[in-house]
Amino acid sequence: MPVVEVQLWDVARVADTDMSLDEIEQVLTVLKAEVEEVSDDTLTYEASHDRPDLYSAEGLGRAAAIYLGKRRRQGRYDVRGPVTELDISSAPKYRPYAFLAIVRGVRLDDEAIRQLFQLQEKLHLSHCGDRALVSIGLYDLDKLRPPFRYVAVEDAEFVPLGYDTPMSLSEVLEKTEKGVKYAHLVKRGEYPLLVDSSGEVMSFPPILNSEENKVTEETRNVLIDVTGTEPWLMLKVLNIVTTSVLERGYGEAVVESVKIVGAEGAPEVTPDLRGTVLRVGLSDVNDLIGWVGSTDDVRVVLERMGYSVEEVTRDVVVVWAPPWRADVLSWVDVAEDIAAGYGYGRLRPEALPPTHWGREHLLERVSSVLRDIMLGLGFNEVVNYMLIDAGLLRELGYERFVEIENPKMVTYSAVRPSLLPSMILTVKENTELTPPLKVFEIGDAVALEDKEPITYRGLGFAIANTKLSLTDGLVIVKALFRALGADVSLRPGDAPPTIAGRTASIIVNDKVVGAVGEVHPRVLNTLGIEYPVVAGELVLNDVAEALGIGEAPKLSPKP
Amino acid sequence: MMGKNDRIVLPERVYRVFEVLLGLGGRAPTEELARSLGRKVSDIQRDLAELERLGLIKVIKEVSKRPELTPEGVEALENGLPEVRVLNALDALGGEAPISELVRESGIDDKELKAALGRLRRAGLVEIRGGVVRLIETDRTHFLESVSEIIKGLKEVAEGRYPPIFGELKKRRLVREVVSKTQVVEVTEKGALAWKENRVMMARVITALTPEIIKSGEWKGAEFKEFDLSIDVPTIYPVRKHPYVYFLQRVREILVGMGFVEVKGPHIESELLNFDALFVPQYHPARRGTDVYFVKGLPRLEGVSRELIERVREVHERGWRYRWSPERALRLVLRTHTTPVSVRTMMERGEGEYRVFSLDRVFRPDTPDPTHLMEFHQLEGIIVGRRVTFRHLLGFFTELAKELELGDVMFRPAYFPFTEPSVEGYIKHPKLGWIEVFPGGMFRPEVIKAAGLSGVNVAAWGIGIDRIAMLVLGINDIRDLYTNNIIKIRSVPYPKEVMR
Repeated sequence: MPVVEVQLWDVARVADTDMSLDEIEQVLTVLKAEVEEVSDDTLTYEASHDRPDLYSAEGLGRAAAIYLGKRRRQGRYDVRGPVTELDISSAPKYRPYAFLAIVRGVRLDDEAIRQLFQLQEKLHLSHCGDRALVSIGLYDLDKLRPPFRYVAVEDAEFVPLGYDTPMSLSEVLEKTEKGVKYAHLVKRGEYPLLVDSSGEVMSFPPILNSEENKVTEETRNVLIDVTGTEPWLMLKVLNIVTTSVLERGYGEAVVESVKIVGAEGAPEVTPDLRGTVLRVGLSDVNDLIGWVGSTDDVRVVLERMGYSVEEVTRDVVVVWAPPWRADVLSWVDVAEDIAAGYGYGRLRPEALPPTHWGREHLLERVSSVLRDIMLGLGFNEVVNYMLIDAGLLRELGYERFVEIENPKMVTYSAVRPSLLPSMILTVKENTELTPPLKVFEIGDAVALEDKEPITYRGLGFAIANTKLSLTDGLVIVKALFRALGADVSLRPGDAPPTIAGRTASIIVNDKVVGAVGEVHPRVLNTLGIEYPVVAGELVLNDVAEALGIGEAPKLSPKP
Repeated sequence: MMGKNDRIVLPERVYRVFEVLLGLGGRAPTEELARSLGRKVSDIQRDLAELERLGLIKVIKEVSKRPELTPEGVEALENGLPEVRVLNALDALGGEAPISELVRESGIDDKELKAALGRLRRAGLVEIRGGVVRLIETDRTHFLESVSEIIKGLKEVAEGRYPPIFGELKKRRLVREVVSKTQVVEVTEKGALAWKENRVMMARVITALTPEIIKSGEWKGAEFKEFDLSIDVPTIYPVRKHPYVYFLQRVREILVGMGFVEVKGPHIESELLNFDALFVPQYHPARRGTDVYFVKGLPRLEGVSRELIERVREVHERGWRYRWSPERALRLVLRTHTTPVSVRTMMERGEGEYRVFSLDRVFRPDTPDPTHLMEFHQLEGIIVGRRVTFRHLLGFFTELAKELELGDVMFRPAYFPFTEPSVEGYIKHPKLGWIEVFPGGMFRPEVIKAAGLSGVNVAAWGIGIDRIAMLVLGINDIRDLYTNNIIKIRSVPYPKEVMR
């Protein structure tokens, strides 16, 4: 979730009213944001991902003023125009869309520019898919000559933002930090470019804007662009940026639209600040929440949350959601705002008596019994991670297992294909203790069967002692199944970390349910273990089946 | 009452005391006896009391006195009495001298000198006028006799005898009397006789019962060695259930008690079930490599029904209006939550009235530290039914908090892509204040639809149970929940919370 930093005086300036810190914190809570830190006039909070309108002081000031009743409910937005055009007919195929919006009459200072920059950055990282789906740009309109074009070019030259000399587009990709970071989003020789009618480069999206027409404290009229691949998302982002910039007119700025020429599947005019009208059945709200207030409650609560209530009867409320409420998709979103605006603390929790008996999973019940037996046999229970070092697995002799494509640490770069590696790691962890060491773990592992990852429940155990042989392991296995009233037969078996010829497959009622063996000295040397180790594993899904306890299928990702 | 010719059976330790005392001649101070036994005086008192009770010895407490020289007495014996030294000094100074000069010449301090001068004056040997001391010509015989009497007396005291003039010496603080109490033990006649007649025997002492002793009845004449409770015994530990497993089982019990049926799902999931069926758009930041472990090198999931793919496509393309990619959806990931288990259950069980839970592991890229892990347990659950509401979800959290003894619960709005309304439940931690523990919400209509259901509400939650386990078990480092270190496991006491 994005962490946003604002100045309290600036939020108050946008809201056009004084607010106490307590009031702002109360608003943030209702709006699902969480205060991280307050120092002097700086407030840092974590905004919720579904409220991108709160990624800067403009949106917070607006929402707080409305919630606290210090600003009239949000009215519909007037949009003049279209006042000019954007031709996107020659856009690059892989990034085909660009939309514009104009806000006239803003007053910017250092803090306002900082906030608008923060808004772009947070949107880029979240909703814009790190610029892959949408990228945003702001310009000083007075330094440009409309109309505009969004085109694919082989190359061009301009002074990128933050530099003082012109560079070719390929140079931008090589020499600038943003160029290096986002080069993968553009195709060489088919670069996207935003230009004005004089041919002046505005932006090389989604990499860098031009230094020449950037927004400064002198800027009065702002041009906003979004370029990208997902029109609907782009329009939502454009709406949030446009309505935020509009707040910097402090009631005096106006929005102008731009005609979009030459694109299929794109709107003809942008921005679209019409918002969304929703009819919400109040009995549906009651069925979902278990509560719905009076019509007055509903009106007051929704208007505090930024909606405009057009009509409310005993059965239905018709609301207009402003264009910056990107999260409002359907009636349930309005229902949540009714509950949140009313206050979750005021909803009475209600117990729902059970309709059926509860039951543990079969594998957990089998696990419990086997755990008792293992404890009775003098084994200590341990817990290991399911994630394990892929390199270690290979050293132990495993070839097939689920490996992670993007591990954070090599220590945790694979999923254990068996409990045996965990058992051997447990012996290593406890080498300080005086032998004999007897440990077991009941847990899940993921085996690869014909390239299909399968979760199963295993019981792993290990014995380490100065003098030890397979006999000691077999004694345990036989004791365990004797306690379960079953006979065990043995067959020569194998398991990657054990010695071939000193490993047994465990068979119960003609079904192989596990294996036990002497751990290979190669493995012991690798891990620095100086005692002989016998380790075994039972597959509890198979044990349950072999003993006729019940079906406990192993789990594949197939739905 | 013991007869005259009875055997006297003593425990070995007591027997030794008696034997050694006889060896010392039948009488000895307790110190000497203890020294000979190699034991402390305080340690043999009980044995002596036992021997005295049997009439074998008598414990005699004696008070003894002896004379002793004081430091002044020692000085007088070595260098002469002060009055003699003053007299000699006066002689050396020609029979007349001021007091100050006498101090220097005699080497006696001021106070002593005055006392000595007093004695000389009373003996009529000197006179003092205006701070000047002068010899009187007279016979010194009587004086010198008394001096030699005193020296003789001091010599006798130094040899430990009482001289006739002890009282006078004591008055002059040249000697003192030292009083000491001593304990002497003495074999009685009866004891000596019994010993002589070989009637004093050593009892066999039993330090540990053996099958032979029990079977032979040998214990009947024997003495049980008294157990020394001050000596520490060896430390051992029970083999035990892992503390975290203990806690998880308690959680299972609670959920089962609330009417929930446990379900399980695979740890490797497709993005389809982990995200897409939950209405998380494919461009959502939670689906990036920083938040999800992707499976390396395995083919995409096969054999998924067309209906499911189309249902999911529809909710995404209608709801989020972007090009939904089934190829992307069929990639395999390590499940980031257990919510896909709930989705599977809904697809399997449909639109009835039911409640299920799962309590298993999920994975998210992280570097382990005291509060983060790359895998952890999630307590997942859903309540499905036509009349299930958000308030029932709040009711569930409240009840669970009560069962786990977590105290007050507070609810705040929250955001999860697949629930609406969404809630975060907080509990009050004694040190940390309000902490988030219960995230949940009502499944969005899109999620219910993607699972192929309609006309039901689903209350859902996915609780990171590790955090609560740490609170209950009193563990401060999350890594210790997953420990395979037996010393660490032993160090965690069984929590009272799971026994209530």
